[in-house]
Amino acid sequence: MLNVFKTKLSAATIVLIPACIGINYLGKLIASVLKLPLWLDSIGTCIGGCLGGPIIGAICGALNNLIYGLTTGDNITLIYALTSLGIGLVVGILARLGFMETFPKSLICAVGGGLAAVVISTPLNILFWGGTTGNVWGDALFTLTQAQGMSVAFGSFLDELVVDVPDKLLTVVIVYLLLKGAPQKLTSLYDVNAEVERLD
Amino acid sequence: MSDFSLYVNKGTWLNKMHPYTKLLYILAAICIPVIGGKLWLFPVMILCSICLLACGRTLRRALPLVAFSFTLIIVIFLIQGLFNHANETILFSIGILTFYKEGLLYATRIGLNILNMLLSFAVFVLTTSPMELVDELEKSGFSPKFGYIINSVFQIIPQMMKSKDTIMDAQRSRGMETEGKLWVRVKALFPMISPVVMSSLVNTRERAIALEVRGFGRKNKKTFLYERPKHKGDRAIGVFLVLMIIAVTVWRIVSCL
Repeated sequence: MLNVFKTKLSAATIVLIPACIGINYLGKLIASVLKLPLWLDSIGTCIGGCLGGPIIGAICGALNNLIYGLTTGDNITLIYALTSLGIGLVVGILARLGFMETFPKSLICAVGGGLAAVVISTPLNILFWGGTTGNVWGDALFTLTQAQGMSVAFGSFLDELVVDVPDKLLTVVIVYLLLKGAPQKLTSLYDVNAEVERLD
Repeated sequence: MSDFSLYVNKGTWLNKMHPYTKLLYILAAICIPVIGGKLWLFPVMILCSICLLACGRTLRRALPLVAFSFTLIIVIFLIQGLFNHANETILFSIGILTFYKEGLLYATRIGLNILNMLLSFAVFVLTTSPMELVDELEKSGFSPKFGYIINSVFQIIPQMMKSKDTIMDAQRSRGMETEGKLWVRVKALFPMISPVVMSSLVNTRERAIALEVRGFGRKNKKTFLYERPKHKGDRAIGVFLVLMIIAVTVWRIVSCL
């Protein structure tokens, strides 16, 4: 049986984690250079989840936010370590179940990752900021729902939904295209079910 | 060390403190007002953090961190002041906008909480070298693999930034547009991101081989290059912080009874 959580802790996976954290940072940077209204800060986490499996994805996500929180002083990021962990875990599980094999399936994987982010972020948003996310479009929607008299939880859920799901869709599409183009000598490093054949 | 980390060694006593003591300070600064439940505890802790930042001569470097959070705080004030569900008592109105007391009070609490957290983290972040933190974590039993991951993030990011700049220039010289309408910018995303990501993924392969050749996976005990001098105040301050958290907890329980 295919074990979803099987993880190889070889030097290759250990090296993958900092690379993924770097990619996360780069994604965020490029999104801000191009002034895109999305975060794109989980490309690395998704790559980690797809290549290394759910456990590596989760470690990438959590460490990513912990490192940035503790070095750049951006402790707003720190709180969302849980969200990143969830994204890495869900995308990793779905990738292992074969949801990154074709393009339409990868979209399901993206929605899964996006929903994981929404479900984990919403309580954190309500707890720490009273429901806002800091994204202009999402917060405008939140204000609208509050003015209509809807509950804070529902407003905050919508706020997070309209931001996170498109963000993760674009992220996973990028990851899908990248991994399709990746050379096999790279992807085979992370194949947990690979058998090493000895010639002697 | 890159300029990616905000740490600067100013040689003050805060730089010499053990990273764990400063982490404990963060815990205390966040827990005391939340457990105590009184609004005045937030300004007290904020003042405390500001004093510490001044002692560490990093007050000016903390300003951009705080300034960044102000937009968030202003949005919270607007939304809660205007639309909070508990709103009943009108405080004042500007034109057609009416601000309510309950919402503003709630927003004040959240705003102070954000400021408090930011400043207490700034005390840690601006005075602690990430390398030192990793070293101390390894000494107290974390796996050296974990240490490697964190240290190599700090080496990888400046490298990736450099290759990002090169690739951006190269793509622009081929006629890629990075400014203009949203769709133009979205189209520029993939040609920019894919070469950097791909090259850094391919690099991991070589890095992994290099590490394995040098015995990275060996299980024997690792030694440390740097010995850090002990600071006398660490123990006293640590005990004091823990006592403060316990005192506040007891006080809250007693006042609830």
